[in-house]
Amino acid sequence: MNKTLPLILIALSSLALGWVLLFWQPSDRPAELALDAPDGGDFTLQSAGGPVALEDFRGKVVLLYFGYTFCPDVCPTNLGFIAAAMEQLAAAESEQVQVLFVSVDPERDTLEKLQAYAGFFHPRVIGITGTPDQVAQAAALYGAAYRKVPQPDSATGYLVDHSANTYLLDRSGKMRRVLAHATAPDEIAAAVRAHL
Amino acid sequence: MQTQFVPLLVGFALLAFSCGAFAGAADLVTVNEPHARAVPPGQSVSAAFMELANTSAADHALVAAESPAAETVELHEHTMRDGMMAMREIPRIDLPAGQSVSLQPGGLHVMLIGLKQPLNAGDRVEITLVFEDGSRQTIEAPVRKAGVMMKHHHH
Repeated sequence: MNKTLPLILIALSSLALGWVLLFWQPSDRPAELALDAPDGGDFTLQSAGGPVALEDFRGKVVLLYFGYTFCPDVCPTNLGFIAAAMEQLAAAESEQVQVLFVSVDPERDTLEKLQAYAGFFHPRVIGITGTPDQVAQAAALYGAAYRKVPQPDSATGYLVDHSANTYLLDRSGKMRRVLAHATAPDEIAAAVRAHL
Repeated sequence: MQTQFVPLLVGFALLAFSCGAFAGAADLVTVNEPHARAVPPGQSVSAAFMELANTSAADHALVAAESPAAETVELHEHTMRDGMMAMREIPRIDLPAGQSVSLQPGGLHVMLIGLKQPLNAGDRVEITLVFEDGSRQTIEAPVRKAGVMMKHHHH
């Protein structure tokens, strides 16, 4: 009893550890991403006008924002501020800027809906999305986090929590600035001008 | 002997039921600067913002809202969780005595779900606010495009 009990306990612990190592999986879904320090990078997604590749915009400053159209406040605020910033630029300047709105909710955001949504804010906004995996990969490049949250008691059905940053890419496609949620139009315009 | 209590009971009952004649929360809460968000065509949700000033000495709360412009109206808040903006329905917005509570972008708002009419800048949306005592106040919120800054609020 004195000697076999510890051995039994060790054996059981080893078995438990072995099970954890081999079989246990965290229950989060792959779309739940942490905010590491990402470098950016190229991706291709779809728009109502056909495929959109980030590298198509070399030579332009790109403002990249991840959101979804069912978002009543945060996304319209940020896109509204971006649009206001674009209005502050001279025509020659804004022609060198491209705004991309990536929907992290392809389930609800069809390409046509995205096109209408993007155009509402400013003509230089393109709405794009893809399969959940494609969107997840694009978001991971920029450290854009998002998470689908079912809302059984709300008429919203489900919501998507998301980091609300705008990523500024310079003309060579390199990510240079992360503009936090609700950065004022003045600041956005200044950041864009700094890289034109 | 017992008949003496009947008028007393009737009197109390009348007093209790006449509480409805006293000012309800709806009369004591002032709504300032309401506005709703203009949305793109085909969009099914939007948000309305406002300042609620409780001018009385008692605590009140906003517990619901209705609007002919939407199928469902809910109260929502935003919090930052794990670096992400999370929006959630809340059952009530407390309005402490003598204080103003601001429903503003990025924070508390009235969410309009299942829009039944387009919301274009310049339109007006009717919203009925329902308070904890059942009293109601109907307001008209002008529709504004996002990005139009009226005041800069610090978060």
